[in-house]
Amino acid sequence: MSLKRVASGSTSRVLKQTRLLPSRIHRYYSTPTSSNAPEDSDVVIVGGGPAGLALASALGSSDAVKQNLKITLVEFGDLEKVRGWNMPSDAFSNRVSSLTNVSQNFLEEIGAWDLVDEGRTCGLEEMKVWDGISDARIDFNAATLGLGSSMTAGNQMARLTENLNLQRGLLRHLDQHTNVSLLDNTKVDSIHHDGNDADGWPAVHLSNGKVLRARLLVGADGFNSPVRSYAGIESYGWNYPTHAIVATLQHAPRSLQPNTTAYQRFLPTGPIAFLPLSPTASSLVWSTRPALAAALKQTDPLVLVRMINAAFRLPEVSLRYLHDRILEASTAGAPLTPSEITDEIAWRERAHDIHEYSAYASASVDPVSVNIGIPPEGAELLPPLVENIQPGTVASFPLRFNHAEAYVGEGRGARTVLVGDAAHTIHPLAGQGLNLGLGDAECLARCITGAVQRGGDIGSHTALLPYARERYFENHKMMSAVDKLHKLYASTAPPVVWARSVGVEVLNELDALKAGVMASAGAGPGPGRGDASWGMAASGVEALVGGARVVTAVRDGVRAVGVGALQQLAQSLAGRSR
Amino acid sequence: MHRLIAPTRILRPRVFSSARLHRHLHHDHGTSTVNAAEIAHFSRLSSLWWDEHGEFAMLHRMNPHRVDFVRAKLREVGLEEEGEGWAAARGARVLSGLDVLDVGCGGGILTESLTRLGARTLAVDASESNVAIASLHAAADPHLASSMADGALEYRHTSSEVLAQEAKRFDVVCSMEVIEHVDNPAAFLRSCAELVKPGGHLILSTISRTPLAYLTTILFAEDLLRLVAPGTHTYAKFINPSELVDFFHREGWIARVEPTRREAEVRGMVYLPWKGDWALVPRGFRSSVAETNYLFWVRKPATSL
Ligand SMILES: Cc1cc2nc3c(=O)[nH]c(=O)nc-3n(C[C@H](O)[C@H](O)[C@H](O)COP(=O)(O)OP(=O)(O)OC[C@H]3O[C@@H](n4cnc5c(N)ncnc54)[C@H](O)[C@@H]3O)c2cc1C
Repeated sequence: MSLKRVASGSTSRVLKQTRLLPSRIHRYYSTPTSSNAPEDSDVVIVGGGPAGLALASALGSSDAVKQNLKITLVEFGDLEKVRGWNMPSDAFSNRVSSLTNVSQNFLEEIGAWDLVDEGRTCGLEEMKVWDGISDARIDFNAATLGLGSSMTAGNQMARLTENLNLQRGLLRHLDQHTNVSLLDNTKVDSIHHDGNDADGWPAVHLSNGKVLRARLLVGADGFNSPVRSYAGIESYGWNYPTHAIVATLQHAPRSLQPNTTAYQRFLPTGPIAFLPLSPTASSLVWSTRPALAAALKQTDPLVLVRMINAAFRLPEVSLRYLHDRILEASTAGAPLTPSEITDEIAWRERAHDIHEYSAYASASVDPVSVNIGIPPEGAELLPPLVENIQPGTVASFPLRFNHAEAYVGEGRGARTVLVGDAAHTIHPLAGQGLNLGLGDAECLARCITGAVQRGGDIGSHTALLPYARERYFENHKMMSAVDKLHKLYASTAPPVVWARSVGVEVLNELDALKAGVMASAGAGPGPGRGDASWGMAASGVEALVGGARVVTAVRDGVRAVGVGALQQLAQSLAGRSR
Repeated sequence: MHRLIAPTRILRPRVFSSARLHRHLHHDHGTSTVNAAEIAHFSRLSSLWWDEHGEFAMLHRMNPHRVDFVRAKLREVGLEEEGEGWAAARGARVLSGLDVLDVGCGGGILTESLTRLGARTLAVDASESNVAIASLHAAADPHLASSMADGALEYRHTSSEVLAQEAKRFDVVCSMEVIEHVDNPAAFLRSCAELVKPGGHLILSTISRTPLAYLTTILFAEDLLRLVAPGTHTYAKFINPSELVDFFHREGWIARVEPTRREAEVRGMVYLPWKGDWALVPRGFRSSVAETNYLFWVRKPATSL
């Protein structure tokens, strides 16, 4: 503002200031000496979650950035705990993400992937997804679709990785780069605009009394982003009437196939997903009604085990009955015991003619002997029977959809940019949350490096514009696809179920289309954006589901969802289930 | 269909008609033609120099590409003459330590970039308020402020004609989006050329005089879309690449009328509305080169003629 005042205001003032230049003016801006005076940093990243650490890592590994910029990362939590994180090889953290091949290639390129313990990760070779009501199925198989990444000998469509394993790898990577200073156990108390004109820099006030003046302030500070509030960027969204239960599942190794297949069943209450981690461990993400999630979290873990097995196997009508039973018992203050729930499920199985030699039986059989014995026919269509839950791994969290209106701040909020959950929060059904954040980090680091090489001011709107352009639409596309999918599958209305089932079954027959769909969702081998095959696949699927769309439109309210979502369905399922 | 917009820079040597301004000016002015009307026009716009969404948005977006061109030419010549070892040692910092002059610096958009890349930069402009704005803006940036303190960045209210009378010569002289606003381009070019060290580089950007340029720059950008303020461009002042080549041929910098790649190069610059960004036209696109906006590089012979 004062700049404008100088320019448009009195000429005499302009001239006076001209004569002062440069020596007098410089004094006002020279580095202050007192200890709690602001300290300048070129990039201040708030948040040491996966997105913030990945951005810091990417910036730390760029030569141009190293020579020119001073970077500070501020994190409220204790990063030492993440650095020292250790678990026995047969135990796993309950926060697991399915990293797409694109995300992995990015981590490999910056040199961070080498520091992730790959032995604890699991390449995903196949995905089986089906409709909870109609049982219409779609299978993605990395080998037949010709997918794979440069770093894997075999074929994989994604790699399941514990968030902590990734964060620890990123921290180890950062330890090699001295131009990034990490301030953990430090909270950002407030952020102020330094100076009274639009040219002022954000001044970040820390809990340790320090003040950092940032040429560029990055909000990697999660859903409640203080940087986003400072920047005055609105965000819009809603909470789904859904919570996600996560847990680490234990089971016997499968006798006829490796544990490299993910399973996801779309139930009207939300999808339940089974993600392989090792031959004997897998991860659960079960999105369901908050009350049920709360009740299940409090029951005996064996009750949860039984309910998980049933949720992949029993017809939907019986699941609804079981859910009601759990809720009733929990409200009455007398939660069901493992033997009670086993009896309930066994009874439902008999009602549906599910015999003990059927792959769909879970209560009337001994899981261990089923998993390691000769599997019943059709067992490969379902995940292995879960035997136990790793103690202490059951947790649940609310699901929300939230998207910032802009990624780059303007006016008095200038010199700010958002990445990761600070910019967007997404339903975990397609496993995109973390991948979107890594995509943001990759793009912003590229954008900053480019600006440095061209002598740009990295905090300027011009320097940040390419980031906003590239990521906003990309993220929005994925977010709305996932949201539509959630809504589409929440419906039990027959025309909708029919339409989505036909669409999925037709799609399932066409490997070429699926390959295109997967490539565009990041499962392809390279970081190539806007894969040409996607265009073809998209129009193909569009044509195929055209008929189904008419049916869908029959029902009011579903019209908005459209079967076009089916095309996005496959896209968003690709290579991840979280 | 792309709109090619030539954002503007201010320049212009010469006499200020304002008596009030005169009181504060101590240097003598060049003798080449003056365009007081243009100076007044840009002084009005000066407050907007650093509003990246305003009048000069196009120029802010164009700047990275101009810098790319400067870096690419310096690197290319360095690689050819000094070899791989030089290129490896310099890395991306081809401008580091060079004496660079920015003629018609306006609010300092190009100047700041050159300085960040390590050049020892002198930036001049004929509009005193531009110089004030550029200086204030740089002083607000700690990195540039320290460059100003140690002499690596200096802004001066003067003209290339006046500077040419001093002894100092430069490794690189840039004058971007300036020559189309000058009344006597030949005198202006001669003064810029004079300021280049033997073996040094002169880099200009401007708009050519084609019907397309008229359509995109004046009719669309100024009159219809108001992307730049009406009155910014005067069609008759647009200069074609061939006229620049011809000029430097006659100055003895270019041996034949078809210059070799080592003598001079012209690169078109187009604005891509769907990307909201400019792009350098790839080499080899002879026909479309310089239909409207273009960059021009020419090398001063190492031995004086
Ligand atoms: C409880 C929960 C469980 C989840 N489980 C899964 C899952 O199983 N799989 C999956 O794919 N996704 C899951 N998600 C989503 C996933 O965790 C996010 O997409 C991902 O963590 C986003 O990373 P981020 O770095 O953008 O933000 P975050 O991981 O949220 O990191 C933000 C960081 O900023 C720090 N911070 C915030 N404010 C301040 C401040 N004022 N001062 C200093 N530091 C600050 C916080 O301490 C935090 O470390 C889950 C999310 C939540 C909330």
